[in-house]
Amino acid sequence: MNYLRPFTVQIVSRNNSTASNVFVNRNPRNLERIRIARKPDGYHLDKPGRKFWHKLSLTSSNRTVTAQVVHYINGPVIEAKTSEWALRKQLYSIKDTSAYINLGRVFAQRCLESGISEIYCDIKPVEGGKVDRFLKEVVNGGIKLEEPETYKKPSPWDRYRPEKPWEVAEE
Amino acid sequence: MLTTFRGTRTAHVLLQHIRLAHRIRGKAPIYCRTIKDRIDEINYKDELYTSRIDIGLPKTKNETRNARLSRLEHLKNLKADQKLEQLARNFELQIDLDETKKDWLQTCGPKQKKQVADHYAIFEHLYGEGYFIPYLNLEVLYDLKDGSYLPVYTGNVIKPAEALEYPAVNYESDADSLWTLALTSLDGHLTENDKEYVHWLVANIPGNSVEKGDTIVEYMQPFPLKGTGYHRYVFVLYKQNGPLSYNIKKVTSTSVLRDRTFVTRDWYKQYQDNITPAGLAFYQSHWDNTVRDFFHSVLHRKEPVYEYDFPKPYIRPQEWFPRRKPFNIYMDKYRDPKEINKEYLLRKLKTEDPFKMPPPPLKFPNAQPLPKNMPSWLKLHEKKIRLRWGRVNDV
Repeated sequence: MNYLRPFTVQIVSRNNSTASNVFVNRNPRNLERIRIARKPDGYHLDKPGRKFWHKLSLTSSNRTVTAQVVHYINGPVIEAKTSEWALRKQLYSIKDTSAYINLGRVFAQRCLESGISEIYCDIKPVEGGKVDRFLKEVVNGGIKLEEPETYKKPSPWDRYRPEKPWEVAEE
Repeated sequence: MLTTFRGTRTAHVLLQHIRLAHRIRGKAPIYCRTIKDRIDEINYKDELYTSRIDIGLPKTKNETRNARLSRLEHLKNLKADQKLEQLARNFELQIDLDETKKDWLQTCGPKQKKQVADHYAIFEHLYGEGYFIPYLNLEVLYDLKDGSYLPVYTGNVIKPAEALEYPAVNYESDADSLWTLALTSLDGHLTENDKEYVHWLVANIPGNSVEKGDTIVEYMQPFPLKGTGYHRYVFVLYKQNGPLSYNIKKVTSTSVLRDRTFVTRDWYKQYQDNITPAGLAFYQSHWDNTVRDFFHSVLHRKEPVYEYDFPKPYIRPQEWFPRRKPFNIYMDKYRDPKEINKEYLLRKLKTEDPFKMPPPPLKFPNAQPLPKNMPSWLKLHEKKIRLRWGRVNDV
C-alpha cells in the first residue's frame, strides 16, 4: 500500500534524540489529503475514467435517488438517499426536482462532516435539469467538484519547482 | 498462435480485438489476467485476517408496528398537503437540515458513521479485528471563545489552535449509568508508530456530566508534527457495568509525554468484561503554530520536523561515450548534487553584498546581450539561470 511509505526526518541540525528518525503516519487518508498518494492510472482509454480518489456517483431508480461518494479502493463511503426516512419525512415527492435539490444539500453536509471536501465528478448534466440543480446545491454546500492533481516531486534537472501542498496549507 | 483460439474457449474471444498480422505479446487474451485481477490477487487476505467482531452495544429495538403505521400516515398527510406540493413544484421546498440530521442519527446514521470510520481505518487501529456501530450519538464541541462552537463529527478538520482546551461533551444518558471517555491520537506517537498517546481519559462519569467523573489523564492539546500531514484524534465513549478503577498512573498536564503512551487494544482487552464502546467521534488535525509553542513551553524541547521520503529518481548507469546527449547536463546527473548546489550558491554570493540593496530583477532577462565568443551551451546555461529555471531554484 502506498500510504505506508515512511516520513523521514529532514536534516535537523540540533539532535532530537527523543524523536524517532522515521515517522509513519498511519492515517490512510493522509497522503490523499496532502496530494502525494497515487491515483489509479492506466485506464485513460476507458470511459468513464478511473483516475480519482473519491468520486461522486448519482443514481436514480424508480423509487429513489442515491448520491454516493465512492472511493477507488473502499467503494461507497458516504451515502444519501431520498428514500431514507430522514429526507422522505419532509419531502413531497422523492423523485422530483425539489428532492434532488434537498438531496444535494444533505449530501454536501454529510461530506463536510466526514472531512471530504473535494470530489471528482464526471457527470455532465443537462443545463437547468434535476441533476444540474443537484450539483449546484452540492457546490453551494461547500464541496469542490474536482480533485487536485497529484504532487510529483521535481527532479533536480526539471525546469519548475511546484509548491509543496503540505506547506501551502500552513500559511 | 491461431491454434490457441480454435480451442473450446473461442466463443469468449472477440476476434476483432486480435490483430492477427502481428505477434501477440504476452499471454493470449483468454489466459491473461486483467490488471484488476492482478491487483486483487496482490491485495488478497485470508478470511482469518479479515473477519471482524462486533464489540459494541446491540441495537435497541424501537421499530414497532405503530411506528410504521404512523410513518405511513405521515406520508399520506404529506401527499395531501397542498402547500407543500406548491413549494415542491416551484422548487422552493427547503427541508430543515437540523431535523434531518436528528432523524438520520435515529435511523441509518450510526451505520454510515461506522462506514466512514472504516474508511479512516479507525477501528482497525483502535481494536484490530473489533469494531462497533456507534448507536449512541456523541456530541463533542470545542469552544472557539467567540461565542461559536466547533463540533467534532467523523473526520472533519480541526486545527490545534482551536482545540487548546478540553471540549464540551454531551450525550443521551440516564442519571445512574456510568461512562468512560477516552481521547487518543492514532498517529501521533513520537517514537513507536503503532502506539497511541492518550490525550484525555475520564472514568466513572455519572450520567452525562463529564466534570463529575474521575479524570485519570488530563486533557492535552493535539500536536500533529510538522510535515507529517493529518493526524486522527478519536473520542470513544464506553459504557461501564459498574464503578471501575483503572490500573493506570494518574497523568497531569505537567507529567512527561512518555506516561501517555497507550494502546487502546490492550487496555480494552483488559477491561472488556466491564466496558462496552457506545459512542464515537473523531477529527483530523494538521500542524500550525501552536504546536511549536506546545513543544517549547510544555515539553521543553525542540520541535521535530519531518519531510516525506520520496523515492529516488532513476538515473541510468553512466556511459563512456553517450550519444546525442548535451555533455554538461549529462555530466551533472552523475555529480554529487550538493557540489552542484554549492557552485550555484557561490555564484549567488559573489554578487550579493550585505550592506547594499540587491539590484532590481531584470525586466527582460533574455534581452541582455551575452559575450559574442561565449559557447552556445554556456549561453543556454546563463539564460536558464536568468529565467530561474532548473537547478538554480535548489539553492
